[in-house]
Amino acid sequence: MSRITLDPITRIEGHLRIDVEANGGKVTNAWSSAQMWRGIEVILKGRAPEDAWSFVQRFCGVCTTVHAISSIRAVEHALNVEVPLNAQYIRNIMIAQHSVQDHIVHFYHLSALDWVDIVSALKADPKKTAQIAQSISDWPGNSEKEFKAVQDKLKAFVAGGKLGIFASGYWGHPAMKLSPEVNLMAVAHYLKALDYQRKASQATAILGGKNPHIQNLVVGGVATAINTENIATLNMERLIYLRTLMEETRDFVQKVYYPDLLAIAGAYKDWFKYGAGVTNYMAVPEFPEDTKNGKFSLPGGVVMAGNIAGIRPVKDHRDEYLIKNIKENVTHAWYEGNGTLHPWEGETKPDYTDFKENGKYSWCKAPTLDGKPVQVGPPAQIMAAYAAGNPKVKKLVDGAVSTLGLSMKDIHSTMGRLYCRGARAHIMADIALENLDKLIANIATGDQTYANHTEIPKGEYRGVGFHEAPRGTLSHWIVIKDKKIENYQAVVPSTWNAAPRNDKGELGPYEASLVGNPIADSSKPLEVLRTIHSFDPCIACAVHTVDPEGKEITKVKVL
Amino acid sequence: MQVLIYGAGNLILSDEGFGVHFVRHMEEVYRIPENVELYDGGTLGIMVHFKFEEADRVILVDVVQAKGEPGDIFRYEREDIMLKNIPVKMSPHQIGLQEMLLISEMRDAPKPDLTFFGIVAGSLEPGDQLTPPLKAGLEKVAKLVVEELNKVGIDLERK
Repeated sequence: MSRITLDPITRIEGHLRIDVEANGGKVTNAWSSAQMWRGIEVILKGRAPEDAWSFVQRFCGVCTTVHAISSIRAVEHALNVEVPLNAQYIRNIMIAQHSVQDHIVHFYHLSALDWVDIVSALKADPKKTAQIAQSISDWPGNSEKEFKAVQDKLKAFVAGGKLGIFASGYWGHPAMKLSPEVNLMAVAHYLKALDYQRKASQATAILGGKNPHIQNLVVGGVATAINTENIATLNMERLIYLRTLMEETRDFVQKVYYPDLLAIAGAYKDWFKYGAGVTNYMAVPEFPEDTKNGKFSLPGGVVMAGNIAGIRPVKDHRDEYLIKNIKENVTHAWYEGNGTLHPWEGETKPDYTDFKENGKYSWCKAPTLDGKPVQVGPPAQIMAAYAAGNPKVKKLVDGAVSTLGLSMKDIHSTMGRLYCRGARAHIMADIALENLDKLIANIATGDQTYANHTEIPKGEYRGVGFHEAPRGTLSHWIVIKDKKIENYQAVVPSTWNAAPRNDKGELGPYEASLVGNPIADSSKPLEVLRTIHSFDPCIACAVHTVDPEGKEITKVKVL
Repeated sequence: MQVLIYGAGNLILSDEGFGVHFVRHMEEVYRIPENVELYDGGTLGIMVHFKFEEADRVILVDVVQAKGEPGDIFRYEREDIMLKNIPVKMSPHQIGLQEMLLISEMRDAPKPDLTFFGIVAGSLEPGDQLTPPLKAGLEKVAKLVVEELNKVGIDLERK
């Protein structure tokens, strides 16, 4: 038996430690440990509820927008505030564009190198690469010349010893299976993808005033003034520029990312058999279409024990079952006691004990729905939309199932998770543009309202802001008392997925997804990375310290 | 010449937010000419590669884990940041500043001059205020940045 510890594991800045026990080439046990303390809730107590959205954006470096949205929805839910249509559309565009950006970066920059061998790309025939790329997409960037240029560049970098940064990747690992030509295609698109994640982020910035950390939310709407004839506001010129950015991003997602994903998935079909883990899922509906958050473009739902047919729909964000049954347990988390609390009563009292595999071993609490561990993320949303008969989702999923020779059950897997994220990006790119059309049409009717002015009243109010974020269901829980925040808890997607064992000893989704997976070489546990990265782990992007790791690199100390 | 002053960090972990506090400090104290951009980059990493690709000169301000007392300031140039001088991170392919710069090079993007001022943090506890040595560091780093800009012919006036 061997014991493997990967610490930290995340590709984005982060502090996730994974321990696995391997026996006979298979993982037999696993522990997921968040190595950083997140005490945000402490900062929020006593502050003004209408400012919370601005603070909570600093939870994270990447998903700043999602926390802002959840937080503002929590206050609006608590006070029963309606949100004007223009504001819903503007928020929807930002949400969808943020998702597109997040998914592009996850696929190419945070997970592709688990499947793509950069060095193998050096052996590719660029002409054949172009043929393959053109056979799966009519995107204009897939020329032989383009691929040759990338390959030459790679050769120069390898010759100059400059690829050292990637050398800690697993090149030449026996589990790498793409042909040199497909590897070259993926590397070329890896570099190109940065241009499109940028366009997506620019679109968010046009509406949000700033990115990262949008500036345009207010309780009851947005602060994006609309006047089609005023150059200082959201006007026709800005709207047209937005459309251009969003269309280019959509084309990249639908003509490059999605076909690349299917090509890679086709070469790694065995990975539709590994990595299922916890098969209880939850997604909340997203993209409100009315002012009361009663009607949504994408449905939500709860699947228990992998039973997609028996899905329980979640119709809106006032769903009593979710609000009542989401709880957090701290038996194996570095907090006082071993209790289970509802987020409105949630506590954040640290109790660090070091890593105790049978005791407390993570800063992550263990969230539960109806007492059970739950996986959140794109598979949950895709399943909910598929079960509800959403035509676009059905068409995409059925197409992929038949192209790859799969069944719906294969979604419960490492590759299934990557697939669903790509399908979600495909859908998000369209939803962003649909909401832009709706916004323009609504402005054209003469409606220029973008916020319902809201005063925070005296008294006690409780609210929850649900949001289906790129990594899954996010919820912010607020208790307001006499115009101040009395309590605040965020139950984030990575808390659901990276959870340690709960009070019943049930494994969290990361942990469960590793058990049973093969490990070809315990000194190079590529298989562990593949599965964990498929969740898009992002534990503590809250910390960002440049770390020379104790070595004396300092040449000049000033002052 | 387009100059980017990039403040990185997390505003709600006290000194971790130094870069962001710094950007705000500069906005308050100095008149910033049009070709100098102050950018609150939060903790974004690779998602802001384009800001680096668009500038001719980048001055990055962040906290750094180096030997020293809270408030000590260190200066690094591009080559110090690249891998041969900063050891491999523990995580395979973890994307940080080095990777971001390398990927930009692979994309044939223009290579801006880069200077990084790193300050040693005193506290990374939750909180939205800097500790006193880091608070004092704001004006010290500002002075260094002003000198840096002088070298390329940009004078910053105090408001």
